[in-house]
Amino acid sequence: MDRIVQGMHIKEVLKTVRAADGYYITNTARDLSQSDFKNRILLHTDLMAAEAREKAGYFSLEITGGASVHVDILRKQVDPFLKLKLLREAMPNTMFQTLCRGVNLFGYRPYPQNVIRLTVREFAKYVDVWRVFDFMNYIPNMQAVFEEVQEAGKILEPCICFSTGPEHTDAFYVDKVAEILAVTGEDIVLCIKNHGGLGTPTRLGELVRAIKDKYPELVLHYHGHNTDGNDIGRITEAVLNGANIVDAADHSFTGFYGPPPVLGVMQSLEGYGHKAVTVDAEAVIATSDAIRDERPHYDLFESQFKGFLPTVQIHKLPGGAMGSSLEQAEKGGFLDKMPDILHKELPLVQKELGNYWSVTPGSQILWTTAVANVQGGERYGNASGDLRNLLLGKYGPFPFYKPADWIYKKVLGPDWQQILETEGGVEDIEDMDIAKERTILTERIKREPSEQELVLYLQHPTDAVEFFKFEEKFGKVYVLPPAIFLKRGGFALGEEITFTDHLGKGHLVSVGPAQMDEEGETTIYLTVDHHNRSYVMPAEHVVGSVAAEPEIGKEEIEELAAVGDVRAPYTANVCEISVEVGQEVVAGDTLIVVEAMKMQTPVVAQVDGIVKSITVKVGDAVKPGAKMVKLNTGAEEAEGE
Amino acid sequence: MKKKILVANRGEIACRIIRAIQELGYTAVALYETPDKAALHISVADEAIWIGDGPRCDYLNIDKIIKVAKSHNVDAIHPGYGFLAENPDFSQACADNDIIFVGPTAEVIQKLGDKVTARRIMAEAKIPMVPGTDNLPADETEAVKMALEFANRVKYPIMLKATAGGGGRGIRQVDNDGQMKEQLQIARAEAKAAFSSDNVYMEKVVVKPKHVEVQIIADQFGNTVHLGTRDCSIQRRNQKLVEIAPSLIKDKKLLDQICDTAVRAAKAANYTNAGTVEFLIDKDMNYYFMEINTRIQVEHTVTEMVTGVDIVRTQIKLAFGKELLFTQDDVQIRGHAIEMRINAEDPQNDFMPEGGKTVTTYRSPGGYGVRLDGFVYQGFTIPQVYDSLLVKLTVFGLSWNETVDRLRRCLSNYVITGPKTTIPFYLQLVNEPQFQSGDFDTSYLENHPELLDYKEDDSEVNKLAALIAEIHHKGKNPYAA
Repeated sequence: MDRIVQGMHIKEVLKTVRAADGYYITNTARDLSQSDFKNRILLHTDLMAAEAREKAGYFSLEITGGASVHVDILRKQVDPFLKLKLLREAMPNTMFQTLCRGVNLFGYRPYPQNVIRLTVREFAKYVDVWRVFDFMNYIPNMQAVFEEVQEAGKILEPCICFSTGPEHTDAFYVDKVAEILAVTGEDIVLCIKNHGGLGTPTRLGELVRAIKDKYPELVLHYHGHNTDGNDIGRITEAVLNGANIVDAADHSFTGFYGPPPVLGVMQSLEGYGHKAVTVDAEAVIATSDAIRDERPHYDLFESQFKGFLPTVQIHKLPGGAMGSSLEQAEKGGFLDKMPDILHKELPLVQKELGNYWSVTPGSQILWTTAVANVQGGERYGNASGDLRNLLLGKYGPFPFYKPADWIYKKVLGPDWQQILETEGGVEDIEDMDIAKERTILTERIKREPSEQELVLYLQHPTDAVEFFKFEEKFGKVYVLPPAIFLKRGGFALGEEITFTDHLGKGHLVSVGPAQMDEEGETTIYLTVDHHNRSYVMPAEHVVGSVAAEPEIGKEEIEELAAVGDVRAPYTANVCEISVEVGQEVVAGDTLIVVEAMKMQTPVVAQVDGIVKSITVKVGDAVKPGAKMVKLNTGAEEAEGE
Repeated sequence: MKKKILVANRGEIACRIIRAIQELGYTAVALYETPDKAALHISVADEAIWIGDGPRCDYLNIDKIIKVAKSHNVDAIHPGYGFLAENPDFSQACADNDIIFVGPTAEVIQKLGDKVTARRIMAEAKIPMVPGTDNLPADETEAVKMALEFANRVKYPIMLKATAGGGGRGIRQVDNDGQMKEQLQIARAEAKAAFSSDNVYMEKVVVKPKHVEVQIIADQFGNTVHLGTRDCSIQRRNQKLVEIAPSLIKDKKLLDQICDTAVRAAKAANYTNAGTVEFLIDKDMNYYFMEINTRIQVEHTVTEMVTGVDIVRTQIKLAFGKELLFTQDDVQIRGHAIEMRINAEDPQNDFMPEGGKTVTTYRSPGGYGVRLDGFVYQGFTIPQVYDSLLVKLTVFGLSWNETVDRLRRCLSNYVITGPKTTIPFYLQLVNEPQFQSGDFDTSYLENHPELLDYKEDDSEVNKLAALIAEIHHKGKNPYAA
């Protein structure tokens, strides 16, 4: 049989694919969830789909990686490892696939080598196919992951990220493939990663042909997005020109920015006499039928913009970032400026910054810069720390050309050349003291963490600890269907809620009345398995109450900074405190690093002084104008005397 | 006419006594103070009498209780434990009003309640006793002089005890001559405040003893039998938490000797009805008489489990002048029983009482070898003004290991929410190797502070329901925003 099952040796997998009379399909459920539902599709729904998906005979099921690891613990309150374990039990044969951002793993900035290796080792216990990419297509950034995946005996699938423009020639990409093969050897699957769904079908056909001409034995996996509504066209051309595996997803959940429907792909290619060799169309249909009724519970997470977005060919945002970008625009109140940002500023910034690949974290840098350029007035006047790092070459060298000098000057300041010389280049990140981190985590959760908990902690320290505490308080909530977990507007009085817990025990919760006392405390009455229980909910904070700090304007923040009263520049989270009380600082020293929209920005001292007090801690959410650091400046001291 | 018995008590023991009364075919009359108006002993009794707003004063008001007993034509009063149980005036008042008191006579209660008199009686009967004194002289200089002489003879540490004390109260330890004068003053002041008598006496401290007691039962015809031993060494600040029958001391001869001594002690005091003779056993297996408790005890259940004798039923029958229907030879100890007092207390907060809280879930274990003596139900609000005992969990097993296993199972299956309880603490205890070995003394709890190191863990469904409550309240899931 041509069916590829979990546990097969990579050589056998490659041999089977090469020999097959047709192509394979990967079900990219994770990418669909990320692109069209902000990564919120719950494990509960994936478990409902498991039986039919297992039967469908995919090359693999892409079910983890990308932003999903973070969203699993942050918004779905499920352990990403447990999720894989449970899915594995339900789907013993299907290979599981991940998407790994190379040195950035499943996050947004580079991790130390030893953290990368530990993380890959733990996930490799469940993940068979490792799709690895780097947004600069800079191969050394993926090296550590390559090595660990191969060491674990799993299938390595390095990517060439694809984009369009005069620099993005076949010759360039074929050379990239050569670069990859030079470090990985030939036992790999190569992915053409078209995260934006860019280019015409013929363009993709040409690229596949060019690579296949040079490497006829190379197993090619085409990954695309349906943002413009035409990915089936590209997939068709890719397969006609020799691609072996393509990506698609279950039709009852397909949206506008993710993968196209599996069945549509099969139907299109059938017209050309190409068969999805192991895919059982009945099972594909059955999968969609099994989960169709769940979709309405997720509608809140669907895009603010309905409809395909063929203008992706202009702005090039990856499908996986479309939903979150629009969400930010709505939360930030600039949804109306989206056409300007997407169709004018973003393409310009893209060109100005070297026409690299708009994918995480590079896409966030482009997006944040474009938004700041439109919102902040002066272009590049309000550069994020990540843009600064990009210009300094911390993520790797620019693939085609460097941004113009004026941008460097604008972002790094008048001494930019000197700064570039002293600070520029890919940084060697020192190994982390993992034993020490384990001790810290043990203290924070007051018990010995498992190896997998440690890995989650190393990825996202604050969010992982929050998740562990959540589980202690609320249990294994992945058993709750979206109808409960994502319920909006409360339940009806007398409503009976049933679910089965992770130990297999069924439960019945019926909703009783709610009662609020004079202080605003509310008691919720539930009957839990025929026993009455009450839950006291603290009074809600009233916005604008006396305790709330008044927001202050940008000018005022700058004025205060000039006298050593350092305030938060905008709504953000504190992610690093770089100084200690009593420390001497000079103007330009980083005091605190804040993070907003996944981008980190240093808050620097505007004056020389000594740190007098620090009023925030790592993890704090701050509003614009919130007090952060107080500096004792000379002037103040003189006054004091 | 059907006999009527008034239960002058509350809580679990009132329910226990009511059961025995009803099983005998008699009418059980409960009484209650206002804070107990929703208490279970009222609903299970055949009649109930409100005796005032209390708290704790009407249950202690002899005149009131006698008055209502007479107006309701009761034949007998069972005092339970605590409250008026060991008050000789109450027994006397019953006698004076032709009401049968289920317990010993006022005279017996009187002399055994006075520790010094009790010691004198036991000394005459050659019952082994911890070296001690009579009441110390009222004159302070002389008292200190006598105390120092005694200490010099028996060596420190020694105990100063209130003559009228009991239940672990009114006791102070003295470790050297220097402390004597000061401690004596304090002990007197405390005794005066707590027991209205500043008489104190002294006893040598038996270091790390085992607390072993013998259940006695005697009719009015001179028949006195014992129902074997109980070990009550697991105590916190002299309050018993866990009781076991029989004692796990391996030397059976010694245990027989202790039981015989108990019978002799009871006879020496002309004891009638049920009582308990308490002993201390030092590490060299010397045993010393401590006191006789002239009432039904909390831990009588363990003895009932291993002997098959219903002590409360027997108490009532004997009080009505019946003869004991069994002899010492008929009493057979079979298997083991352990009782744990499940209290509404937070062990991790210095066993702070959790009174005032409402029991939101009450799900009790059952099955073979399990006995529950309690008075809580789901929806019951625990009155703040009484003690914190909710229910006694007693388990029986043929072997010690089986009994411990059963206890562990019951504790893990017990669900009480609302107030915090001692259940998680007991779960720690049943899993502790020294407890499992069965060899422990009164220093056990202070030597095992790690038992307090546990996490209160709610059941999975309650955790999930807590999230559902929050999703419901907020109109969305704040953890999925």
